Order: sequence, then C-alpha cells, then structure tokens
Amino acid sequence: MFSGLSRRRVLLLVVLTCVLLITLDKRGNAVIDRARSLFARVVQPIDTATQALMLPIERVWDGIVNFDDVQSENEALRDQLEHMRGNDVEARSAVLQYRELLKISQLTSKFQFDTVKAQVVGESPSNFQNTVEINVGGRQGVAVGMPVTDGAGLIGRITKVFADRSIVLLVTDPGYSIAAQVLSSSDSPGTGTTTPTESTLLNGQPVSDLTSSTTSTTTTTTTQPLPPELQPIDTTTTVVPLVPGVTTSTAVAVPTSTTLPPVVRETGTLQGQGADQPMLLRFVDTTSAVTSVKVGAVVDTAGGTSSNAPQGIPIGIITHIERQTGSSSALVEVTPNANLKSLNFVAVVLYVSNQDAIGK
Amino acid sequence: MRNIILGPLLRLVPVGLVALSIQRVVFGAHPIYGVKLQFVLALVVAAGAGGGADRGAVAGFVLGLLYDASGNTPLGLMALSYGLAGMTAGYVHSFTPDPQWWLASIFAFFGAAVGEIAIPLAEVITGQSGWITSDVRITIPLVAGFAALACPPLMPVGRWMMGVKRKKWKAMLE
Repeated sequence: MFSGLSRRRVLLLVVLTCVLLITLDKRGNAVIDRARSLFARVVQPIDTATQALMLPIERVWDGIVNFDDVQSENEALRDQLEHMRGNDVEARSAVLQYRELLKISQLTSKFQFDTVKAQVVGESPSNFQNTVEINVGGRQGVAVGMPVTDGAGLIGRITKVFADRSIVLLVTDPGYSIAAQVLSSSDSPGTGTTTPTESTLLNGQPVSDLTSSTTSTTTTTTTQPLPPELQPIDTTTTVVPLVPGVTTSTAVAVPTSTTLPPVVRETGTLQGQGADQPMLLRFVDTTSAVTSVKVGAVVDTAGGTSSNAPQGIPIGIITHIERQTGSSSALVEVTPNANLKSLNFVAVVLYVSNQDAIGK
Repeated sequence: MRNIILGPLLRLVPVGLVALSIQRVVFGAHPIYGVKLQFVLALVVAAGAGGGADRGAVAGFVLGLLYDASGNTPLGLMALSYGLAGMTAGYVHSFTPDPQWWLASIFAFFGAAVGEIAIPLAEVITGQSGWITSDVRITIPLVAGFAALACPPLMPVGRWMMGVKRKKWKAMLE
C-alpha cells in the first residue's frame, strides 16, 4: 500500500499536514469550525449508543471497584439520617410543647388573674397521693391554695410551696374538693356545651387543633336576670395555624333571641375519689341531679368567697348520674377534662380567695 | 498514493468513531488514579504494531484528527502525536516481519509513551499551554502500560482496519 512512498516521506507528509491544520485552526477557519460542528452531530448518536451498551459493564465495574466506598458511604449516610431523625423528633416535640403552652395561655386569658407558667417535674412516689411537683414556687409568687390549670382545664391546687418548687394536689385526690357549678339547659342535655374531649375549652371551644378551624356556640337567655358571666353570648372563635402574622379573634355579639330554653345553674361541691376514678359532685340542692342536670353537662368552678378558684375554670363533664332508691339525691360522676396522667406544661392562676385576702 | 489514503480510510473512520466514543464514554469518564487511559492511542499503536510504521502513522493521523475534531485541541495536534505513536510502534517490523504478541506489546508501550509525551510537547510548541502541567511520571506509564496490555487483542482490529493480512508461512517443498 505504501510501497510508492518511503517511510520518511510518509512521516514528513503527516507532520506537514498536521502543522498546516494546526496553523489553520489556530488562526480561526470557518471550514474547520463547520467541520467540527458537523462531526459533533455525527458523534453524538454514537456516544449515546455506546453509553447504552456500556452501562451494564460500567455498573458491574463500579460494583467491583467502588463497593467498599459505597458501603462506607452508605453507613455514613445512615448515621446522618439517624441524626436527622433525632433532630426531627426534637423539632416536633418543641412544636407540641409550644402548642401546649399556647392552650394554657388561651385558657387562662379569659380570667382577670395573672398566671405563672410551669412544667411538671415530678410525680408523687406514693401510691396514695395524687400530686405532682411543678418547677415554680414562692419566688414566682405561687401560694398555697392557688388553682392550677392546663390547656384542658383545672388540674388541682397548690398544697405546698417551696422557693422554686410546688406541690399540686390533683383534682382526683380524695382530699381535694372545690365548689363547682353545672350549667345546663332544661330541654336537652349538653345544650350550650361542647363535646367533651381532653383538649377542649377556650370558652367551651375546642382549641386542640391548631389547624384552621371555626366553631361557634350559642347559649341561651333566660326569663330571669343572670349574673354577667352567664349573660348569653354568641361567640365565634377562630384558631388558626401557628404561623407568623396570624391572629386569634373573638367576637362577642349581643343576643336578641328570647325563645331559647333557659339555662339552669346548679352549684355543689366536687370531690376527688382517687386516681382513675371520676370525681363526685354533690349538689347543694339534692333534687337537682334528678331534675335538671343531665349527662354531658359541663362542670366548672363556681367561684365565691370561700372558693380557692375563680369562677368559670372548666373542670370536666358529667358522665354518669345514678339515682339512689329511697332518696331524692343522686350520685353525679364527673370526668375531668385534663388528662392527669400526662401532664407537662401547666399554669398556676395567681388567685387568692377573698377570705384569705381579708385574713392577710 | 490514492490507495494509501482511501483504502484504509473506509475502515479507519467507522472504527475510529466507535473507538472515540468508547474513549469518551468509558475511559474518559472513569479515570484510574486520576489518569484517563487512552483507548484510541492503544488502537493506533496496535495498528502500527500490526501493520508497520507507515500504516501506523496513517492510522495515528486519521484517528488523531477525529480526536481533535471532537475535542478542544487544535485540529492536527493529536493527529501529529498519534501519528508519531503509530510510527514508533510500527518499527517493530524492522526487526521481524511477524512479531510475537509480547514483542508487539513492548513496541506498543514505547509507541504509546512517545504519543502521550508528544501531546504536551506539541501543546507547548503551538502555544496551547505552558510547560508540561500534568504529572507525566504517572500518566505516561499508565497510558503506555494500558496500550501494551490492550495491544494483543487490538492488533487484529488494527490489521483489519489498515487492510493488512497476517502473513502465513509455508514450508518450502524440496
């Protein structure tokens, strides 16, 4: 093939051609540029086909060569993922704690009394005492007898105060009793109340969900004058998600209806019966339980000069009424709103009863 | 002269395109110790070792041109380097008309080394870059070693694309 040319001539020809091409290309040649772009188009499908053919081989090769690296990288990534999960749980916990605090704030906001936020730091070691220990005490203005609430309602009262610690006697303890009131409509049970759940009660409105929700409750008017706190209200509470810039609004409208059934207020003494047991309500008027009070009615604090709590703090709902034979009275069982087994954040209402205030 | 260029060109270009594609997709994408093995260069030295210095020079020139056309180097730079590589590998035919595989591999090694070292030199000469920047102490042995290993299996391909038939020796009748 190359018989006509000597080896030196071939070499010379190659070198000269190359130098010529380099020179032309370095100076910028339109023909060479066009040839390059055309060549790129020709090569592209071949590259694609080669990639498709070589992919399995490449993967096998990568599997052989990079197996250890991939394994160690995988372990490192798993470790990183575990850390991220931990952070995620921590963040969720923080959000839940924030919500809990918010509920407490919303519950106590309707009172005219200051509150001290606290966290439950311990429980009673005894089987026979229903108490919890909280991390606020005398330095924060806490005093014996003050009511303690959480987002759902009343949980107990302060029985012992230290400098930075306090002991709370829970409402379920047999030694606990408080003046309570039941508001019920005479026509149907539960009228004017919300469905009782663990996480209700911002003016009887559920506040458990921080997703956008709108609830409204209408209580009734009566033919007799009522105290201001029992004035019929038309309340609309909107609780919106916890994002910056949102607000919680409460609109109170003047009632006009006079056709609604009357609300009956019954008072009595609520007493604990021990852990996991419902509280017992004893009415001042022993016939009340038989006549007007129904299952599902809301029980809250009655207030008064001798009471350790202001009026209107929700306590629980009536879950059972048992009529006693040969007597006009009945056993009324009340289940507390608060989940006393899983208390975390609470609020001490800095309320001193009138008697104590006078005594001081 | 016409046969010299046009004869093998019909085979060189398609084989060169495939080799170039393998170089770009496989060896270019998977460097070993930071060195990209040169499949096209291995094919060039295999063609030289199989067909001789002159055929190796032509193979190097054509495949080098394809390389240049697909890359950023000035057209002719790789052609020059690969042409030198093919010619160096082809010098094995000066010693024996039908070299053994190991002898061809040795010449392929030197041919690839010459071709690889010629690239930075040519770049310096043409002002494409400064003095040798890459670590040639690692690059050249690896590339040359790969070419030496790939030479025996690539030699049949190199012969085919250059239109060379392997010589068959027959014993003379008395």
